[in-house]
Amino acid sequence: MTGRRVAVVGAGMTRFVRRAQETGKELAFQASRAALDAAEIKLDRVDAVCLTSAPDAFDGVHRKGDYLADGAGGWNKPFIRTYVGGGSGVFTAIQGWYTVASGQADVVLCVAEEKMSSCQPHPQGAFLTIFDNILERPLGPNLLWIFALEMNRYMQRYGLDKRDIAAVAVKNKRNAADHPAALLGQADISVDDVLASDVLAWPVQRLDVSPISDGAVAIIMASEDAARRLTDAPVWVDGVGWNLDSTYWTNRDLSYPEYVENAARMAYGMAGITEPRKQIHIAEPYDPFDYKELHHLEGLLLFDKGKAPEAAAAGVTARDGDLPCCPSGGLLGVGNPIAAAGLMKIAELFWQLRGEAGARQVPGTPERGVAQAWGDLMQVGTVVVMGKDRDGRLGTSGQQTVQPATLLGPTSLSDAQFRSASGAVETPLDVRYAWDPGDAVGAFLDGLRDERILATTCVSCGRTLVPPRAFCERCFRPTDAWRELPAVGTVETFSICHVTWDMRPLDQPELPAVIRIEGSSDGGFLHLLGEVAPDDVRIGMSVEAVWRPMDDRTGSILDIAYFRPREPSVRRELVAAAVAEVGS
Amino acid sequence: MTVRRIEGVLPVAFRYTPGVGNTAFFEALRDRGTFLGARCADCGVTYLPARIFCERCLAGLMPDTECGPEGTVESWTVAHEDADGLPLDLPVTFALVRLDGADTVLLHKLLGSTDIGGRVRPVLRPDRAASILDLEGFEPI
Repeated sequence: MTGRRVAVVGAGMTRFVRRAQETGKELAFQASRAALDAAEIKLDRVDAVCLTSAPDAFDGVHRKGDYLADGAGGWNKPFIRTYVGGGSGVFTAIQGWYTVASGQADVVLCVAEEKMSSCQPHPQGAFLTIFDNILERPLGPNLLWIFALEMNRYMQRYGLDKRDIAAVAVKNKRNAADHPAALLGQADISVDDVLASDVLAWPVQRLDVSPISDGAVAIIMASEDAARRLTDAPVWVDGVGWNLDSTYWTNRDLSYPEYVENAARMAYGMAGITEPRKQIHIAEPYDPFDYKELHHLEGLLLFDKGKAPEAAAAGVTARDGDLPCCPSGGLLGVGNPIAAAGLMKIAELFWQLRGEAGARQVPGTPERGVAQAWGDLMQVGTVVVMGKDRDGRLGTSGQQTVQPATLLGPTSLSDAQFRSASGAVETPLDVRYAWDPGDAVGAFLDGLRDERILATTCVSCGRTLVPPRAFCERCFRPTDAWRELPAVGTVETFSICHVTWDMRPLDQPELPAVIRIEGSSDGGFLHLLGEVAPDDVRIGMSVEAVWRPMDDRTGSILDIAYFRPREPSVRRELVAAAVAEVGS
Repeated sequence: MTVRRIEGVLPVAFRYTPGVGNTAFFEALRDRGTFLGARCADCGVTYLPARIFCERCLAGLMPDTECGPEGTVESWTVAHEDADGLPLDLPVTFALVRLDGADTVLLHKLLGSTDIGGRVRPVLRPDRAASILDLEGFEPI
């Protein structure tokens, strides 16, 4: 056992809505108060507050932690905000766990809030800076590219059928129809509906994606002694784990989430779980996209690699299946106020393991569950294993917890109400940046101007790195030498993107791809394909750089206009829009 | 090696709804020219503008307590530069004003001069739009 035993003793949440009238503070209050009421305690019983909320840029409030603190009950208390992007919601329960396990506090309030509707014209704008400012943003990236490129790679690697993946969206939206807080519950949705929805960035379609949402969730965590006094049905935190993969997202294995496996092994080790598929009875994997639930179930070692889709299609992960997954309805059905959605998974396990999930309750008596989230630059895994009281006290009331969502709001605004709300204030974030590329990437950009692809090498691990780095992040030592590589490579994965970052339709689709330069290690880098019909692009296709005319080169990633097939018979006449003209 | 700067922006703007508490405050200010706060009887604290919760005990609150309209200057400063550090044509005085009955202060313009502890009253615009700018500022009594 690591530290003191810690239990969850109460949970509450707001409804997830598209646009809330409430401020972020007010959303945090509604969830916090619901959790306190569920645990039947007053705020003065809380020793410390752990809060999370995803990017500050959603709100334009660059001190979001203490901004939200009053609504989260943080006044005059030890208070901390943690942030690991989309992984934050589950991570704040981990933060709560070690605040209690360490003995620093007996009772902790954990709060996750997200208000995405303030961010105009589209919350994706807040995510543009997760791309590399020097090497990726000049290409005009769209956040969906990352997921589409990952999903395509996953499908190709295991030969997956998109129908099987769409089954996850169907399951979760149907499950959410039984959740009183859900934004997108839909009892009668079918796989055909998902496959007929708009293609955003192939293979990602609109119904493969969870909705932008506002909402908040809170839980109360307590030490064993405190938990025993507060409830006769504590739900224990049996294990916690978190792990970060390479920050170079195009260098990762896009077909398998190593970071989730590493986090899961950490949590399972602490929980004494040796056979996850037998010892885990219910799972709340992170599902902002349908394929991502499957990806994560494999990373959680609950299905073999590439095998989760067929299991989902066969009903194994249905609420009444052998391993219920996202019985809440998940992000795809309940909604995706980012940080809050992660903590919602912890709350759902709490309700399910206590038998209090009402119409969402899984059959039988599940004793152990796992919740997981994913975030940062799509490479952090956060995992919590929760279990029912092992001392034989079931303590399940069998009563559905009064869903505070229906009591406390928030007030959902239509778009017209949102646009006309009295007292609303509009303000741009009027900031501009000038980034220095640094030594290694600066030399790479100089090389591009001369039609040269430059790499650095690390003799310790033997890798050749493109784009080059001044240091090897694995060996944590300076790289050793420069090497020139040919301007040819392979398509590791690609997407056919039909929308801009703010979801306006494109006249001509863009073809973002991860290109692995011949002779480089670990995946590749992001660029665009051109002189090829979208239907003719294949993973594994051999491509070559097409250089911009000499006079137009500026020492930029755009000095490569695009990559085109090396095989002339596959080439098509260039469509103007395929060229990366757009900086953003 | 070439020294270069790669420029970029964060292309976002925000539309903030004032929330439930502030909306009650702004609408009372707009419609009746009054200052609506919320009182937590247990903690003995009156918040202005109104809030829907007490930050000390997380009790739910209603916008039920009218404050002011007169108040007291808690502190003040004179700004000679704008946000970009450029000189202002005319200096502007800002004050923290605690309206009678409130335990919290409002930040606004001080129209005239007085000192800490000085008594002030609000100057309202005739055409009001549910905004903090419905108030022109406070003037010494």
